[in-house]
Amino acid sequence: MIRRRLLVALTALPFGLALGGCKIVATAKKQAPGADEGTGGGFDPNVMVDAMWDSKVVPYLQAKAGNLPDVLALARANPDEAGHKYGNRAKEGNEPWTFAARIEGRVIAAETASRAATISVDNAGDGKIAAIVQIGPAMRGTALRDALDFVSFNDFKNQIDYAQFGKAFNQHVARTILAQLPRDALVGRKATILGAFSLESGDQPPLVAPAQIALGPAS
Amino acid sequence: MGLKTVLLSAALAGAAVFGTSGAASAADLIAVITPSHDNPFFKAEAEGAEAKAKALGYDVLSLVHDDDANKQSELIDTAIARGAKAIILDNAGADATVAAVKKAKDAGVPSFLIDREINASGVAVAQIVSNNYQGAQLGAQEFVKLMGEKGNFAELVGKESDTNAGIRSKGYHDVIGEYPDLKSVAKQSANWSQTEAYAKMETILQANPNIKGVISGNDTMAMGAIAALAAANRKDVIVVGFDGSNDVRDSILSGGIKATVLQPAYQQAQDAVDQADAYIKTKKAPAQEKQLMDCVLITPANAGKLETFSLKK
Repeated sequence: MIRRRLLVALTALPFGLALGGCKIVATAKKQAPGADEGTGGGFDPNVMVDAMWDSKVVPYLQAKAGNLPDVLALARANPDEAGHKYGNRAKEGNEPWTFAARIEGRVIAAETASRAATISVDNAGDGKIAAIVQIGPAMRGTALRDALDFVSFNDFKNQIDYAQFGKAFNQHVARTILAQLPRDALVGRKATILGAFSLESGDQPPLVAPAQIALGPAS
Repeated sequence: MGLKTVLLSAALAGAAVFGTSGAASAADLIAVITPSHDNPFFKAEAEGAEAKAKALGYDVLSLVHDDDANKQSELIDTAIARGAKAIILDNAGADATVAAVKKAKDAGVPSFLIDREINASGVAVAQIVSNNYQGAQLGAQEFVKLMGEKGNFAELVGKESDTNAGIRSKGYHDVIGEYPDLKSVAKQSANWSQTEAYAKMETILQANPNIKGVISGNDTMAMGAIAALAAANRKDVIVVGFDGSNDVRDSILSGGIKATVLQPAYQQAQDAVDQADAYIKTKKAPAQEKQLMDCVLITPANAGKLETFSLKK
């Protein structure tokens, strides 16, 4: 646990430096990992995700991500081109592209009453919501899993294992990053996010699953 | 032109007009094996597969296993004996089916699975299934909204041998479990069956008269539940299903069931036949054996566009 806290602190550090006043305070209790019952066979999605997060997941998303306005503009004009450049999707089936993006802006709204809490971020300074970012502790969907080109449904015994693997990404983020975020006085603060999303309907702001979040001072 | 030639021309023309039926012995055979067509979902996928196979020039052998793994094994023997070039299969159990599909493979008959998975890969050429986890999360989010994030609810679960029952239940709970004011008072299997769901719903209602909602693992069970609720004059209870059947569409449009989740069953079956056709002709397997097809939430807003498990544009 101590080692993990240190790792989180180190991961957060570059963000903190870049943003000057950013401060991530680790106060919240850790959730116990592996709360779901597995389907046997020693399959432990939480251990798998913990093992690949720093070494594979974050570097992949950092390399694949574009700046949100660029990703959205291309995705709306030519989803396949945007997908190949900034995203991933299964080779068969009808899943939509899942994109990786960086968002830098200001929090203009926060919904923290729900357990599926979100912040709305404006990245153009025009008061419009560019992205809605999930800040947990409950996170929806499987965007973090689906953004990764080295993860395939084929490698899992069945949909249940694959779903648990998807949920393990959300739990990892909730435990190691989101639990440390403040819940009050979020509006007005600067926010830098690396995350993943799939575009449901073209004109709505995307619902982003964050892999990294750093909050700066309000201004 | 001699008489013989005329007759021959007529025969050829007949064959062209009547398609494969006029030349049964010459056309390759595709076997389509599904659960009972009593459930419109299975009927739709069987019809989707049959229509596509006929359009591609195949003869079709359509069979039902009634969710009996032994019967399924016999039907696969039949398909092998009849020289089927491929089997399109919605199977009778994630574990029990592995041996049957392997038997077909060993006999040189490739299988293309739809709707339900098996607990093995590398045995079937394709496994095309709905993204049940994604769909269940959509249904559960709508259910949570309809419930106002609080109240007592019951869940009807599908047949245990079918992975889809477990995965939908998990998708429901991963969403609903986040709301501490939503209380699960009953969780029972009705085996995908309308009549079983009716009986289970009656019992649940007697034990829990203060129930506010029912989330169901499929549409036939949702139809059973809504009928039992109507008989008990409990039209206030919120029911959400899964499948996107025409029955549930009509119920949604008349203010009964509140929502369901469409599985693109017809398209899924057609895609499986396309992949079988490619495999028969070129030995080319799809890029990925396990394939997911995303589901769509159906509410009063878009139910009017739903027809036979597909959404009109």
